[in-house]
Amino acid sequence: MCKMSGTMDLDAKFVEINPTNTFLSAEQLVTHRHLEIEATCGGLKRTQNEGSAAELEEITTALSNLRAQLSVPRIERLGGRALASWDEEQQAAEILRKDGKFGSFGYSVQSKLYLEHYEALFLLELGRLQLEYHDVTVSVEQAYVLLLGELESEKYHNYLVYSALSRAGYIVVRHKRHQPAAETVTRADCIWALLKEKVGHIPTAAHIKASPLYATVEKSMEDVKQLIMWPNTEQNENSGERIDFKFDTRKRKAHAASRDYPGSKKACLSTRKSLVDLPKTEATFARFENVFKKFDIVQLKSNDYPTDDQTTPPSFSISFDLHLHNGGFKKRTPKTPTFNVMILPPDAPFPTHSEIAQCQRQQLHTAPLLVVSVSESKQIQAFLYFIS
Amino acid sequence: MQFTFQCKKKRCNFRNSNATPFPICEQGERYHGVLTGLSVEISDSTQSQSLHNNGCYGKGSKSRGGPASGDEDETLLLGLEESCFLAYYLKVLEIKNQSGTSVDWEGFLKVAQDLNDRFLENLACYLYLKSKNWVIKSGIKFGGDFLIYKQSPRNFHASFLVIVQTHSDLDYYQPKNLKGVQRVAETSDKDVLLLTVDCRTGLTVGQPKEDSSHIATPEALKEISVTETIVRRFNYSSFVQSKQ
Repeated sequence: MCKMSGTMDLDAKFVEINPTNTFLSAEQLVTHRHLEIEATCGGLKRTQNEGSAAELEEITTALSNLRAQLSVPRIERLGGRALASWDEEQQAAEILRKDGKFGSFGYSVQSKLYLEHYEALFLLELGRLQLEYHDVTVSVEQAYVLLLGELESEKYHNYLVYSALSRAGYIVVRHKRHQPAAETVTRADCIWALLKEKVGHIPTAAHIKASPLYATVEKSMEDVKQLIMWPNTEQNENSGERIDFKFDTRKRKAHAASRDYPGSKKACLSTRKSLVDLPKTEATFARFENVFKKFDIVQLKSNDYPTDDQTTPPSFSISFDLHLHNGGFKKRTPKTPTFNVMILPPDAPFPTHSEIAQCQRQQLHTAPLLVVSVSESKQIQAFLYFIS
Repeated sequence: MQFTFQCKKKRCNFRNSNATPFPICEQGERYHGVLTGLSVEISDSTQSQSLHNNGCYGKGSKSRGGPASGDEDETLLLGLEESCFLAYYLKVLEIKNQSGTSVDWEGFLKVAQDLNDRFLENLACYLYLKSKNWVIKSGIKFGGDFLIYKQSPRNFHASFLVIVQTHSDLDYYQPKNLKGVQRVAETSDKDVLLLTVDCRTGLTVGQPKEDSSHIATPEALKEISVTETIVRRFNYSSFVQSKQ
């Protein structure tokens, strides 16, 4: 009976539908903008319930303030968002409508502009993108699952780092490996390049250095050089003379270097020199150089030629390149980045000296390597490496 | 990005212009120390003073730094690495055991390795840093192996906290360890210097210590080489702001 009358009512009156999207007038917008709801505060913090009338009143005003604060309508500019649709195959968001400049975002394939999953999520979180999936608008929560995947993967850490670095003010782009000219490097090329470097101080070209032959050639040349300089090394291993002579050359080199840049080294570019040579420039060192030489026994590991790690890929990978906003960044022709970013998940150990050195030998990174560690509590901390 | 490190000066006017990095012995006279099982003790007060003034070796048994209490019975305690360095490399110290017989290199090494199974690695790093004119003190109060100072702990704060590592044990590349030790060091403007010890023949380092024939002489340590790694926390947001 009751139900019947209800439907009757519905039929009798027209149901008024309030559209969720309304338009505000200019005055309304201005007042809305300056809407301020502030809780009355004062007095000491209370820790116990008194049950007094004053307290009850305070609680009700606090609650109504909270309600008023939360029920302020969200106002957005109509069409103030870019529109994109998720492309399952590409694992990227295809931009259907642009809004504003896209600057450093996205990449284009066959005249279509795509956003990487982390870029799409970042813009979505900022409210600058409306993402659609099979013509249905995706909520932020759904986007997390859609873009980062349901299973745990490194995508989540990548996104965290991407978003933190972008917000800090960097241009973050996917790491591009520097591709050398695809010509084959022969043994002779390596030898000539090495000779030119040693004799003529002409720096070796990157693609020759990257060749797996380079290190072996360098080692064999070094071996031959050792043999020429100290032909009977094996016999007088314990004689002090040879050690003195060898150390002498090394020291002079160190001194020349410290004149150029006292106590400073390029980040993460192995100079095969010590980072802590500075006290050697003191007067006392020169005064007692002979005594110092006597126990200069343990040396810096100068050239570690690994036997066969030239071709093995390193255990970590570089994810992003960082550019500065005022560095004149262009998406098409990126310059050398300011940093290469490597992301370290919570329980992964830091790369060791040999791993970093191997990374350098293979010229995997083009700029100082920034190791960004994501902790278990999703905190982000960047680290710079300096190695000998 | 250039690497520079701090040498923070202390606010004291103490200057000892005659100080040398080594105690130099005239006419073959040597310092006398007794190996107590934990450290090498110098009981003669003039010898202790001279050892501490020339190169800041040791620690007074009743003082924070050098022997300064003025008590008659205060001795100078030398750590294992520094006493080994003074005795077998500089050859200015004679080490005797408690029964009065002098201890040679092999005997000392055995005692030291019983106390600390990474003694050889630590000694190699000690020598490496010493040859670069650093003043080396124990780093135990900062959770590392050594603290290294420019000139003297009286004039400068330590620049680095040194941690010695072998290839088999890479504890300090674990994030929580590295971050922890960095935070401790950073509060006092130090950097963490990781020295990874490497042996060409692969004999001494990271192997059981039963076979000690390959380190028959102090010079045998030349088979060991080290690599330096400094990992420094980097404030990316202040860096980008400084560039704008």
